[in-house]
Amino acid sequence: MDEQAFRLEVRQWIKENFPEEWRFPPHRLSLRQTETWQRKLYEKGWSAPNWPKEYGGMGLTAYQQISFQQAFDAHGINIAPNMAVTMLGPLLIRYGTEAQKQYYLPRILSGEIRWCQGYSEPGAGSDLAGLRTSAVLQGDHFIVNGQKIWTSYAHEADMIFMLVRTDKEAKKQEGISFLLGDMKAPGITIRRIKNLTGSSEFCEVFFDNVKIPKENIVGQLNQGWTMAKSLLGSERITIGSPRVAKYPLQLLGKLAKERGLMENPEFRAQYDALRLDVADLDATFVRFAEVLRRGEELGPEVSLLKIWITETYQRVTDLMIEITGEAAVLDEMLVLADGAQVHPANHYFASRPASIYGGTNEIQRNILAKAILELPG
Amino acid sequence: MIDLKTRIDRFSDQQRMIQESAASFFSDAGNYKRIRERRGIAPGYDQSVWKAMADLGWLGFWLPEKYDGMGLGFAEASLLLEQGGRALAPEPLISAALMAGGAILHGDNEGLKAECLPRLMAGDWKPALAWQEAESSQQTESSSVTAVAQSGGFALTGSKYFIPAAEGADAFVVAARTPSGTALFLVDKGSAGTVIETHPRVDGGFFGTLKLAGVRVSASRCVASPGMGRAVLDRVLDEGRLAASAELLGVMSRALEISVAYIRQREQFGRPIGSFQALQHRAVDLFILVELSRSVLAHGAAVFDASPDPARRAVAASQAKARCSDAALKVAKGCVQLHGGIGYTDECDIGLFLKKSMVLATWLGSAAHHRRRYGELVAEAV
Repeated sequence: MDEQAFRLEVRQWIKENFPEEWRFPPHRLSLRQTETWQRKLYEKGWSAPNWPKEYGGMGLTAYQQISFQQAFDAHGINIAPNMAVTMLGPLLIRYGTEAQKQYYLPRILSGEIRWCQGYSEPGAGSDLAGLRTSAVLQGDHFIVNGQKIWTSYAHEADMIFMLVRTDKEAKKQEGISFLLGDMKAPGITIRRIKNLTGSSEFCEVFFDNVKIPKENIVGQLNQGWTMAKSLLGSERITIGSPRVAKYPLQLLGKLAKERGLMENPEFRAQYDALRLDVADLDATFVRFAEVLRRGEELGPEVSLLKIWITETYQRVTDLMIEITGEAAVLDEMLVLADGAQVHPANHYFASRPASIYGGTNEIQRNILAKAILELPG
Repeated sequence: MIDLKTRIDRFSDQQRMIQESAASFFSDAGNYKRIRERRGIAPGYDQSVWKAMADLGWLGFWLPEKYDGMGLGFAEASLLLEQGGRALAPEPLISAALMAGGAILHGDNEGLKAECLPRLMAGDWKPALAWQEAESSQQTESSSVTAVAQSGGFALTGSKYFIPAAEGADAFVVAARTPSGTALFLVDKGSAGTVIETHPRVDGGFFGTLKLAGVRVSASRCVASPGMGRAVLDRVLDEGRLAASAELLGVMSRALEISVAYIRQREQFGRPIGSFQALQHRAVDLFILVELSRSVLAHGAAVFDASPDPARRAVAASQAKARCSDAALKVAKGCVQLHGGIGYTDECDIGLFLKKSMVLATWLGSAAHHRRRYGELVAEAV
């Protein structure tokens, strides 16, 4: 099918199947809240645009993934990303055992198992390799003790993919392993964290002598860091996706139109500059995604996508606040003529962690300075 | 520093060849010493380098093969122009060959095409495009320059501004208003009633002003008939914008390389200053702008190569020119800052890059102009 026809099909199908009341939601929806929709996507075979077809993905080229995603954004669909699809799946496909692939991949696609990601710890943020949650092999199980933080949707998750320390003596990067744990296992406590918007997507997860079967290790013992890094690479391209700013930009456009600002030269100059900031990132994203499509690896250069799009996102929310005036600080939903609901302050808040998660933008700049510009340490 | 283009982009054999031969040509054509020596000396470029470009067939890089041109796509041409930008080459490849020559090619005078294009390609004859009628105006519908029909031809009156390589041009392709719309005419240098004023630019080159006082042009020298002049101008202007973006990319990427090398070796407080995070982060921000520019240019070239549709090309040209103009200025200024005091001296090469960026960034519409144009051309998705 040619690209144009496919695009039309996607738009049409979304229009027919996505619940009207979930369009342009005031808060990002969770996977659990949108279970019925996830199911429809799965039945349509559209759960994993980025996976190869042989594993039940759509096998789309990176370029096609972008245009596929655009159809969702344009329709006002704002659902938390499925980390298992974007991160865990590609990792299992690459490093998992045959048994792990056969068991987990279909269940990721169907949504039967919902996942969360356990990386950061209170003492291991930017310095992720300093993580201390320990896993000690005893018989057929790892015994896990420690604490993870910033674990999005841990309270909705069935399983967690996590980094743990399996060798305390080794160099910090060399003693880390990658485990898959059951969130219902005894010894796990979840505490939700309220963020600046007042919602609680984030959680802390405490592990107190939690048993994880030893076959739940992905890859080799103490090889977790290498895999995590390859995962961080693909995470960075995901969090460097143009869509990070597209949806808020669209809301900004709606707000501006309603306020009659589209003909205001001062606003237009700022707005058009932002549109180009996003369009130009699109062109860059395509160029980077092309590398993945060829089956090659992306390295530290993906950091530039993340820096640019998250800071563009923040400029978009700055302007949202600017044009909304005093109404911007009301803790209320603005309902626009087309029914879209906007809470400008919450977008302003939600754009804050964008330059923090997945490695702060300062860390990303350090990475680029050292690995690409080859500046001295 | 690692060259990201080499690392992540893939090129065809032809593209690699063009890139390599251009890189070696411009390094042979002399370093920045050549640029310094030419500053302020008319015509502002090297006739011998121009001839050497002709020998390589480059003056016809944009011409279809039926005119014995190289028939390069914009993806390929950008690589050539980028190398020219890196070398700060002042030769008017864009303004004389691609734009003035292109106006002749896209016009409707077959006789002129046969007469002019081979001579242009051979490097023996150079046209200049005289279209602009006011500062900061990208208006292609002629208004103040008029062509009044006379027996067997027209009489042209008015002034054209900001003409690159006017000095050294053998003829001018002049846009003028007729009762049936804009037309383009070929006016030979030295024609009765013409005066050329040259104004030195900050980069050592020149802009010319062409004053026309009832200059007689025969109908056979009409490059594009009344009514079609504007479309031809719009086409070559957008091509010029994309091409200028490619040069800007070359200018900014080379400036950054020079500056990164400088902060690696320059020591203060007993360490290379490039080890300081403040400078590293500044350099990274410039690097991001260079790569955005490269992406936008590649996207623009692909759009141009895919379609002659003026509407799509206009969007792509504005997108590229907006980003590359803005980025080149930011990069060049940032590079002066990375150099410290020495960056403000004339002896340091980095200033040459700032000045070249200024010229190319303002020419054919500034970043602000093209952001506005993009905003007008592309409907918001709301």
